[in-house]
Amino acid sequence: MKSRKLRDRIFIITMVAPALILLLAFVVIPLFIGAFTSLFQTTSMTGGGTFIGLKNYVFALQDEVFWKSIKNTLYYAVFITIAKNALGLGLALLLAKKMRGLTLFRVAVFIPVTFSFIVTGVLWSWIYSPVFGILNEFMNTVGLGGFIQEWLSDPAVAMTSICVVDVWKWTGFHMVIYMAGLQKISPDLYESAAIDGAGAWQKFKSITVPQMNATIVLNVLIAFTGGFVQNYDLVKVMTDGGPFNSTEVALTYIVRNLLKFMNVGKANAMTIILVLIVSVFGFMQLKIMTKEDDDE
Amino acid sequence: MNRLSEGKTKKRLFLCFKYLVLILMLIITVYPVLWMIFGAFKDDYEFYNNIWGMASEPRIENFINAWNRADLGQKYLNSIIITVLFLILLLPIASCAAYVIARMPKSKFRCKEIIYLLLLVGIVIPRGVLAIPIYQVIVALGLANTRISLVLVYVAQFLSFSIFLMRGYYASLPKGLEDAARIDGCGWFKSFWYVMTPLTKPGLLTVAIFGGLNVWNEYFLSSILIRSQELQTIPLGLAIFVDDHNVYYPELFAALTIATVPVVILYIIAQKKFIQGLTAGAVKG
Repeated sequence: MKSRKLRDRIFIITMVAPALILLLAFVVIPLFIGAFTSLFQTTSMTGGGTFIGLKNYVFALQDEVFWKSIKNTLYYAVFITIAKNALGLGLALLLAKKMRGLTLFRVAVFIPVTFSFIVTGVLWSWIYSPVFGILNEFMNTVGLGGFIQEWLSDPAVAMTSICVVDVWKWTGFHMVIYMAGLQKISPDLYESAAIDGAGAWQKFKSITVPQMNATIVLNVLIAFTGGFVQNYDLVKVMTDGGPFNSTEVALTYIVRNLLKFMNVGKANAMTIILVLIVSVFGFMQLKIMTKEDDDE
Repeated sequence: MNRLSEGKTKKRLFLCFKYLVLILMLIITVYPVLWMIFGAFKDDYEFYNNIWGMASEPRIENFINAWNRADLGQKYLNSIIITVLFLILLLPIASCAAYVIARMPKSKFRCKEIIYLLLLVGIVIPRGVLAIPIYQVIVALGLANTRISLVLVYVAQFLSFSIFLMRGYYASLPKGLEDAARIDGCGWFKSFWYVMTPLTKPGLLTVAIFGGLNVWNEYFLSSILIRSQELQTIPLGLAIFVDDHNVYYPELFAALTIATVPVVILYIIAQKKFIQGLTAGAVKG
């Protein structure tokens, strides 16, 4: 009996060990190494340097560009979260009823989801291009020529231009999720509300939103946490943080500190600050995902 | 009678509006993709002067030149090697962990909750945020600038989500099935491997599509971990090709097309599985 117990235990350990080791090595330990390195002034990737306590954090927080990059990151995350979810939910509601061509449409709007951010970014750099980009051409044709901007080289609009690309890539994704969520709501609910004389807005407010609560929250969190980290690729290929740091996001600035300024300590201090911000939302996401589990 | 027909016109107008939105969205999403493909076939003159349409004389040599100049063959090979190794490691590792979390009774598996929470740590810290210290770990392990370093990091980054998803699939299987297997003399491992895991195929497919596509398209981590040209993946190679100021633009568009079209074709062939695979994390039940 005892050996059976031991065998079970060995079985459990061998089953979870590979996953635990990998997560420790490439998520948990990096977190500690990041926190540790952030206390040193160093240009070396492998340790060493002078211990300077929390000074790297002071340097980071006194660095205007870092603040700017955090602000841009938040702007990016908030912008794409609102736009993707409003568009995704709006389209899903509009197209909830069966209609001809819907399947084709669903397949088509999902194509950009399969693109890499690099391809997406390069493609859109050309769409925005003042020389032969189709956006300006299009605006001229339809008489909106007056609204033409220097999409990527005007510091006032460049960040928004990049956000729009991210929204373009992901709206189909959110729409499909919302469509699936809507399909799960029982039509009886709407029917009885219609009998009670509820209008479209009332139905949306008192049936759709509460029924889709978990889906909406999860979609918002996925978009939001994604907004903190996915922006690197797009910014890198479209503007590389310019003009005048107007599109610098946290990750591009952290990498710049590492590879260009060789300031490993400060790059790590900024990483830890970013982790602290993002993990709050990541934790919320985890809570919601596992709470649904318990309900099952 | 009058009111009835009024309602009908209203309905028809609404349908028209819906189709208008549908077609507009279709153009916004699909036209840029077509534009990329059109551009890839043009010559210099048409590239600047025939902006909207197809090339009058398609130039196939753009593709050949792009393929050679950006060394896309090597990049494809690297991306394939990395994605395949990633899946070979991720699927069994995630399945094993998910299985014991889902099926082992608590009496046999103490601190199950704590271990499960630990396994989900990757959901709290989004992929990529820790790139800098991860690079330090890779350097310390002597794995800098290797394919295997990327594979290991990717697997770790996707483990939490995969375990979470697979746990759901294992947990939903009936208990009687496993009991029957155990009575027939199957040990834990045998019942895991031969009885339970084949039934989680949809889950495995979801993990494979979600993880595979993400890894195939990944740029950030590879740009930090990979230094030498012969190890570059497709996104990495493209980003560098773009930075080359002497690049001939139709060739650049050809390179973008070569990088995207195979995945798009794969997606169109298996679109149902793709959509399900990529959205499964957010739609439950």
